[in-house]
Amino acid sequence: MPDDSLAQLQRGLLDLDMEAALAAVHNVIAGGNQARVKEAVDVVTRSLEVVGKRFQDGEWYLAELVYAGEIAKDVMNALSPLMQSGGSPSRGTLVIGTVAGDLHDLGKNIVVNFARSAGFAVVDLGVDVSAQKFAAAVREHGPAVLGMSCLLTSTESQLAGVIDALKTQGLRDKLKVVIGGAALSERAARDVGADAFAPDAVTGVDMMKKWSAPA
Amino acid sequence: MNFKERVLTAMNHEEADRVPVMGLIMDPATVNKMLGKKPVDFVGLLQKPVLGNQIKNLLSSNRFWNNMYYGNFSAAMQAAASLGFDANWAVYALMKLTRDPQASVGWSWYDPYGRVWELAADTEGNINVNYSRALCDTEEKWEKWVEEKAPLFETMLRNTAAFHRKLVKDHGGRIYPMCYAAPGPFENSWQPIGFVNFTRLIYQKPDFVKKVIAFQTDLCLRNLEAVMKSGVEVVLGGDDLGQKTGPLLRPELVEKLYGESYRRMADLVHQRGRKFVFHSCGNIYALLDKFVEWGFDGIITMEPTAGMDLGRVRAQVGHKLVLIGNLDVSYLVVKGTRQEIEDAVRKAIGDAARGGGYILSTSHSHPLVDPVRLQWMVEAAHKYGRYPIGG
Ligand code: B12
Repeated sequence: MPDDSLAQLQRGLLDLDMEAALAAVHNVIAGGNQARVKEAVDVVTRSLEVVGKRFQDGEWYLAELVYAGEIAKDVMNALSPLMQSGGSPSRGTLVIGTVAGDLHDLGKNIVVNFARSAGFAVVDLGVDVSAQKFAAAVREHGPAVLGMSCLLTSTESQLAGVIDALKTQGLRDKLKVVIGGAALSERAARDVGADAFAPDAVTGVDMMKKWSAPA
Repeated sequence: MNFKERVLTAMNHEEADRVPVMGLIMDPATVNKMLGKKPVDFVGLLQKPVLGNQIKNLLSSNRFWNNMYYGNFSAAMQAAASLGFDANWAVYALMKLTRDPQASVGWSWYDPYGRVWELAADTEGNINVNYSRALCDTEEKWEKWVEEKAPLFETMLRNTAAFHRKLVKDHGGRIYPMCYAAPGPFENSWQPIGFVNFTRLIYQKPDFVKKVIAFQTDLCLRNLEAVMKSGVEVVLGGDDLGQKTGPLLRPELVEKLYGESYRRMADLVHQRGRKFVFHSCGNIYALLDKFVEWGFDGIITMEPTAGMDLGRVRAQVGHKLVLIGNLDVSYLVVKGTRQEIEDAVRKAIGDAARGGGYILSTSHSHPLVDPVRLQWMVEAAHKYGRYPIGG
């Protein structure tokens, strides 16, 4: 009988059926086949792309996006012990946080989850993060991407402050900076000197993947 | 016509002498600026070695909290009335000061529902409080919390009734207090649990979610009753159902989980002969028809930064809902020019005020809102808001 675990995993993710997805992934793990583990990771990545498209097209709502992200997280957690020996390559590190004075974190947390599932190592600094703290984390972790969330107009100036701190410390050229959140726009990205503005988590993680793809 | 007649006429979808203007003034920063008052920097004082403890004891007492809280809203009403607003919103909240190693100042407010409110001060010392995290991230913690807090809910409801009654008594002669029974069953069910956890529970433990919603709906109905004891004819309720691009939950799911709660809220207010106005931030076009179906009389906010356009809302719901709000708080009343404010006021009135049913206001409160811009807004409303509009 053919093993349809991977198809079941994909259905689990796209039908928001956590139980089915986890049962499928346990079958894959029980098989002990490294190549299948790698394929399962690819299925998660491809399914999340479909999920993201559904959200961007207005077909899915935020809670569905969040839950698909949760299923992906649990699946990846189950697979991760097997991935160390030749599993999926890390795409690099993302340092992320919500700027000083701003406590909104739902959006940032979704980005964190999607970035992790896409293979990034994520350092989440939380909310109300000062420029000094962002810069120190960049120095410590040497990320490929810095992500900042900002939902309040009153805290928009913090973005420029972080980028200035990176410049002063000679760190700005070593990474890409992406910003997101209700108050922002592409113009804000240009004004503060970020590389990009992401209107949603899916677009943001897509950008990060492009940036980290080998040339 | 006086302010009250003006507001109630608009609420009836009739043309008053002019479009009423409502303030959403409540942030201590805005209030203190308006009254030229110097704030007491409680957050700073809390961090002082010896004094800190005394301040902590003071802030933890129900009496002090109520006085401080009432003082802020009383000042907001006073300031709004002197600027010429016809109405201003008011909401009661109860918080307990709690030592909190996760908070930057070492202390947070915990509310009776199971939410942590981060305590901060701006550069002038104005106090700022904002929901930061959930205290009941599991089923067990939630059950334990609501059991333990049963007496606190009663205190909260008593305080709510007393707060609104006093506000109406002290200020109702000069300005119309739009008394707000917040938060609603949606926020009260997810915020003490956390959005991600709550989403997981919707799929994995639907019976538990039902129980939480039923509990919060009952509490919310009691909160509405408490607010209505003040005698006001219009009551606000609300939940942030939207984010920048659309509702947080699929509208069918909102109906399934919360439809009955919202119907019961509107029904209760109607049974008492009052009108029910609902607040929600975010992009909520997809829910407007539901609001009508649930029996809401009006909506307040219509956040422009989430794409809410007053003309489009009016076209979609006609005069089935009174509309309140829509002026931008991200730029317009923070840094906008007088001309920009006049243009925005004129446009809002042109888009929504014909035939009554519109009350001009900003789309939210915000600590950076500038009183001078609010004054311009009121003046523009007086200039362009005379009925008949554009005639
Ligand atoms: C929920 C909410 C709150 C909650 C926050 C709870 C929490 N822990 O996050 C509470 C009640 C605490 C709150 C408080 C306040 N809020 Co508020 N809030 C909202 C609301 C309704 C939804 C925000 C949200 O969570 N959306 C859902 C998430 C998933 O969406 P998102 O954050 O936009 O994220 C998505 C994208 O933007 C993107 N993204 C976000 N960040 C990043 C980062 C990167 C790197 C990338 C790639 C992508 C990305 O990906 C996400 C998923 O697709 C918005 C309305 C709105 N239009 O958004 C107002 C809103 C943001 N709040 C507002 C205001 C004014 C406030 C207060 C100042 C109110 C007050 N007077 O106290 C306080 C400020 C608190 C503080 N200091 O931070 C205003 C801001 C106006 C402005 N332009 O400045 C808004 C727009 C509401 C309005 N009517 O105007 N708020």
